[in-house]
Amino acid sequence: MWDLFISIFINVLLWIYNAIGQNFGIAIILFTILIRIVTWPLNAQQMKGAKAMQDMQNDKEWQAIQKKYAKDKEKLAQEQMRVYREKGINPFGSCLPTLIQFPIIIALYQSIIRALAATPLDLLKLSRSINPAFLDVTDLIPLNSKFLWMNLGQPEPYYILAIVVAATTYIQSKLTLPPSTNPNDQSAAMGQSMTITMPLMLGWFALTFPSGLAVYFITSNVLGIIQYAAQGKANWSNLLPKSMRKES
Amino acid sequence: MRKKLLLISMVLLGAVLLSACAGGAVRGTTWPGLTADENTAYLADLSLVFGINLKDGKEAWRFSDQQDKKAQFYAHPVLTPDGLVIVGSASGKHILYALDPSDLLVNGNFKSPAVEWTFTGAGGPWVASSLIVNDMLFAPNSDGNLYVFDLNDGQSQKQPVKVIELGGRLWAQPVTDGERVFVTSLDHSVSAVDVESYSVVWHDDISAAIPGSPAIGPDGNLYVGSLASQLEQFNPETGEHKPVLEAKDWIWSTPTFDGDTLYFGDLKGNFYSFNTTDASLNWSVQPDGAITASAILQNDHLLLATESGNIYAIDKDGSVLWFEQVRDAKVNGKIYTTPVTAGDLILVAPLGTEFYLAALDSNGRQVWTFVPGK
Repeated sequence: MWDLFISIFINVLLWIYNAIGQNFGIAIILFTILIRIVTWPLNAQQMKGAKAMQDMQNDKEWQAIQKKYAKDKEKLAQEQMRVYREKGINPFGSCLPTLIQFPIIIALYQSIIRALAATPLDLLKLSRSINPAFLDVTDLIPLNSKFLWMNLGQPEPYYILAIVVAATTYIQSKLTLPPSTNPNDQSAAMGQSMTITMPLMLGWFALTFPSGLAVYFITSNVLGIIQYAAQGKANWSNLLPKSMRKES
Repeated sequence: MRKKLLLISMVLLGAVLLSACAGGAVRGTTWPGLTADENTAYLADLSLVFGINLKDGKEAWRFSDQQDKKAQFYAHPVLTPDGLVIVGSASGKHILYALDPSDLLVNGNFKSPAVEWTFTGAGGPWVASSLIVNDMLFAPNSDGNLYVFDLNDGQSQKQPVKVIELGGRLWAQPVTDGERVFVTSLDHSVSAVDVESYSVVWHDDISAAIPGSPAIGPDGNLYVGSLASQLEQFNPETGEHKPVLEAKDWIWSTPTFDGDTLYFGDLKGNFYSFNTTDASLNWSVQPDGAITASAILQNDHLLLATESGNIYAIDKDGSVLWFEQVRDAKVNGKIYTTPVTAGDLILVAPLGTEFYLAALDSNGRQVWTFVPGK
């Protein structure tokens, strides 16, 4: 099943690669755009879920049950679930779509490794991943792994991509972080910690794994920023230091 | 809180999964390289190169580069006339090493050969084995260069006497007819290089990548299999070429000559006998599993290894004389590496089994297996 998933990725990637004149970097960028389009409903659901959870923190009934059952965790959980049900909110609605992207990232990573075929076994696996009825790859192999100054099958040696990945991840996280007025807001605190954790983690991935994956991260982040901005939901003030934010 | 834990767990899981896929030093990243002389088998298996005593299958020595922890080896080691073992690393710093097993040093619990010389100037992984012609080492690298070294120059930091730019990824060991060295490339090309002047005599393209070495027939012609599923015949002097047989799938293995007859396999598991005098197919059989390893001649029959983990003894008329599974207590091995004969032994280096190397007798029965010590 997983192999089928990888095969679909590889066939689409190689089809794009062939169609655009055999540039694997551009193929990854176009493929990322395709993935963003396909996962658009998930992203929209994530944004909606995040907003609903944020609103919940400021809801009077919600705050009341937090106070009332502060010492009875079991009852508090029951009451929270009741409120979620009544308001039609899925408590995992904002994070599940994010988690669903992990298999995509892993599949893309494996697809890049297999498509660029750095070892004989990878090339053999590639031969089995291609549907000859869909694509004749005889002329395409080996793929051109050069893109700008990078070898897409190897980690980028100058740390440039890692910095750009971390920076764009940070900007995207900050822009999508809704403002919170409640000092005890747990999800806001979690959001704040994720704005640090995620850029560091993806930056480390970009440093360690083939640069093709970093190209995916950057493209995906930039598209995310554009998506939020286009919907008018980007919190640009979050990028400013707190003192300046108050003034503005 | 539960949500936070779930998110953090999934992030960590993603990191672990990605790291697990990184290929690191996990056995099975690709298939090992194998060579043997009359006393020793030389096995290049990712981070280690082993010398294995053929009498009992015990480890004589092992080599890993302590300065380059990312080094991985999977090209077949090459033996020089004075007993050095040449191996190149396919990751890390891409170093080419000449090891001296006659000068063993104690390294922890193991013995390790001294490094006689190294070459650190290659731009890509060493996937192909080198070829020795007249004390000169012709070493193809994945950076597209064929490096030529003088084996007798006494340098410990080797510098090539010539770097020949051929292009593409050079994954296969060159062959020679004494006058020229022939090199195939994944970049769809075959090149002929003069062994004296190191000039490129000809360089010609076919329509697909060539992962295997060429074979030189008794008529002097060159035969090359490709990922276009074609067997191509090349004129060794001019590079003129023509397809002589269409296989049913990609041809990976290097063809094997016996007289005028050429034997080779494809990735669908078909094994062909081709008559080069009249360019006709004698027969083809399909034992099982993909064939990436070359057939080898033993006595009056052929030995063929398949991905399914079987070794076949095939008569020259195409009939199967015997076959044996190469497996440990739990699983069948997958065989991609060309087996090697050493005396009466058939050496097989499968993937997936607990042992790294198995020695079979001439009837395919297991004599010993080699499992490296921790």
